[in-house]
Amino acid sequence: MAGAGTDVRVTRGEDGTIRVAAGPVLGHIEVCDDVAAAGPDFTRSVLDVAGAVLVWPVLGESGLPVAEIHDAGRAQQWLWAVYGERVAAAVHDAAAGEPAGAHVMTETSALAGAAARLGYGHWAARWWPASYPDGIPVLEPDVLGLEFAALTHRCQQLFDDYGDQPDDCVAELIEEHRSALAPLLQWWRATPQPADTARHLDSVLRLIDDAADCAGLDGTALRRLRSALDEGPDHGRTVTPAGPAALFARQVGYALAAGDPLVAGGRVIARGSGTNDWRRYPPGFIDAAEHAVSWTARALGARRQIEVEVVAHVAAPTTGAPLAAEVRVNGSRPLRVPLGRRDDVWTGRADVDLTPDPSAATSAPPRIEVGVLLPGFDPGAGPEARADRDAIRALARRRLAGAAQPVADDVYDGVAGPFLAETLAATATSEDY
Amino acid sequence: MVIDHAWRGLGPGLESLSGPGGAPLTRTVKLIVLPLIVRPALRPELAVDFLGPERAARLDALIRESAPRLAATARWFTLLKKARRALGVVAGNPQDLYFQRCFELATEHGAPSVGAEAVARAVVEEVADAGGGRTVEALRGHLADTGRCARLDAELAVAWESRPTVPASGVSAAVTLAAEVLDACAAPGDSPAYASMVDAGHGGVFGRALWTHANEIWGAEEPPAHLGLTARRVPSRPEVGRGASTATLPAPLDRTLFERLFVVLQSSARREELPTVPELVEREVGRSCAPLGLYDESLRVVVVLGGRLAVGLDPLGTGEPAPGRTAAHRAVNSRWRREASVLRARRMTVSPHPDPDGGPLEALARDLRTPWAAYMRRLWVRLHGRDVRDAPLADLASAWAVLDGVARSVMMDHRARVRSALRALSATPAAAVEPTEPRSA
Repeated sequence: MAGAGTDVRVTRGEDGTIRVAAGPVLGHIEVCDDVAAAGPDFTRSVLDVAGAVLVWPVLGESGLPVAEIHDAGRAQQWLWAVYGERVAAAVHDAAAGEPAGAHVMTETSALAGAAARLGYGHWAARWWPASYPDGIPVLEPDVLGLEFAALTHRCQQLFDDYGDQPDDCVAELIEEHRSALAPLLQWWRATPQPADTARHLDSVLRLIDDAADCAGLDGTALRRLRSALDEGPDHGRTVTPAGPAALFARQVGYALAAGDPLVAGGRVIARGSGTNDWRRYPPGFIDAAEHAVSWTARALGARRQIEVEVVAHVAAPTTGAPLAAEVRVNGSRPLRVPLGRRDDVWTGRADVDLTPDPSAATSAPPRIEVGVLLPGFDPGAGPEARADRDAIRALARRRLAGAAQPVADDVYDGVAGPFLAETLAATATSEDY
Repeated sequence: MVIDHAWRGLGPGLESLSGPGGAPLTRTVKLIVLPLIVRPALRPELAVDFLGPERAARLDALIRESAPRLAATARWFTLLKKARRALGVVAGNPQDLYFQRCFELATEHGAPSVGAEAVARAVVEEVADAGGGRTVEALRGHLADTGRCARLDAELAVAWESRPTVPASGVSAAVTLAAEVLDACAAPGDSPAYASMVDAGHGGVFGRALWTHANEIWGAEEPPAHLGLTARRVPSRPEVGRGASTATLPAPLDRTLFERLFVVLQSSARREELPTVPELVEREVGRSCAPLGLYDESLRVVVVLGGRLAVGLDPLGTGEPAPGRTAAHRAVNSRWRREASVLRARRMTVSPHPDPDGGPLEALARDLRTPWAAYMRRLWVRLHGRDVRDAPLADLASAWAVLDGVARSVMMDHRARVRSALRALSATPAAAVEPTEPRSA
């Protein structure tokens, strides 16, 4: 983890935006504007803070963020605490019109780690590659949400009250995810092992209590939290019989939804995998595995039909999501095929024209490309990103393996420490998800 | 940073005013330390971002001197929060509501002692009651009187009929000047063009033009002259009205008297500064028949500036060149680009191109393709709120603060709506969507 003594560059862009970035790596590339240079959208975590956007790479070294500062005055309230006083001064000078960029050394920073952790948490809530075939369990959204609330409170110095930082939402997070408070308290009373998990859980719950108090929230679950914390975990100690994951057991597993029966008959003429581009649909609908999208082309007499199957996310709603597949034959205009739910897959089929590509060699089979998307959400097909998706899966596996091991307490000051939701996911057996 | 160091040096007893890391809460600095201890009006030399060692020492000393009072403030705050819970008050942020009061209590009484609970309860009740009857309920009661409603309706009819009906001239001059003013926005210093627009009554000119169905004010058929301020060709006479709901409010100039004041009374901030409900209603009769539904000319000019800004917004980042983009456009559009990048990183996108299968997300994207409507709606509400409070926008800097703030709000609205649309998709299984016949996209 980068911290004290990192060399950062402070530069001022044409539009007045001031950028603070470690080292010369990113040079003059605009993180915001040049997606290709910065990697696919799912490889960076972002945080809206007072007067700036902070950006971290999710893969690789998670050090100091790149800050895109659009209001240097407002950013002064946290710049010194994240990067140190010298960087704050350099930003001040840059805002005042110092022309050239400055190289500055950062100083020890308490807030940088917590901010990076909060940024990572927001990333995980949207891009965690949960997959049944890959064996990567879902992160419990309410547990994740409550830990964000605690972290957001911990990072209160980053936010001000201009109303343009949707990430400053402690009260909303606690309200939205309060159903996880009771099971978290039960887990806390059961004194989880290893001891660092117990300490981490305790600190998260105390931060939530303090955050709720600061924001003037009230309610039964919060009052119980308050009195439990006052009494200590020994009061009403319980033993969780089936491990902590059981506390959060919810309706998972595939609800059986009625769907069209499988096509009977027909001669299979080709099969293949499509592209599972995570950017083209929101989280929670489709399994993140690379081969979650598959297709089969059949000949039914003179007709040629393609059937698309997409493995559903384990927590996906059984109905109501108007997902669609996009089929291209020999680079044709994309044909959109609506998908319905059947058991654990989204599926749809359509007649296609599989006439061979006239420009190709006569014997060449038709080239079939299949993607999956949510209409209205889809930003359009992006560049090939399989290697990045694999890297994200490897990251998730690494974090789950790490969450099952005892760790030092100070990892919770940064991205490295497991989130409670990751700890839960790591302790869940394969039966549990 | 000096404040942070001094604060940590004050020792224990300040927990209720501090964040989890021991630093003062953002609001402690903003509502207590700066205005009540540093007091920049008395010591402007301390109100800058970077202090030399000597000034830093003075600031440090000021904060240390206040240590006992701050400790007492912290204890009062804890007490007030307790009283608030006991009374079941949940509205508002306790820091915003009580911080300054706690500092006053600490100044007056020192640390809380005998009888402090009763004082705390009285303060919480007083703060909760500060609106002094300026509530939606009071408005509803006031307008429930049918005789009164009939009289107001007659007054509205007279006021509407006596509007000047001469077609306004000078709209294009107003729009040209607006571009000049917007080019001076976001830069320090005042623009004489803003003052001259106010002096020339260019806001009123624009407002009257909307009454007579002006065409192509913004350079083409699209967008319409009224920019969505009315859903009609020209606005019609406002009605009195008896009810309102946030979800179904019509376009600003189509709102009833009730709806206009409902929005003002609903936002809880500084209600004690408002005129009383009967006075609000009387004045709204004339206001709703004034150009743009506003009395103050500077506020009307800001509508013109906002319109000129709104027609050049590019929230989807198409990068399509639009004629006459100004410094203000560049500032707001670059913020939209940043927002778009954050939304992509948070997996909260909407398709940039029209998609007939897009459902509720397509509706949000459509709003982004006509950004002026949402912008003008928000802007009008904010300006109307100022008009009701007699708070004109005296100079360009404060006008720009409003224009820029509205741009931020529109962006936040968009993000919130995308979030809730996505949540609705994954949470409530709507009626099963029957797979329909495939077709070319």
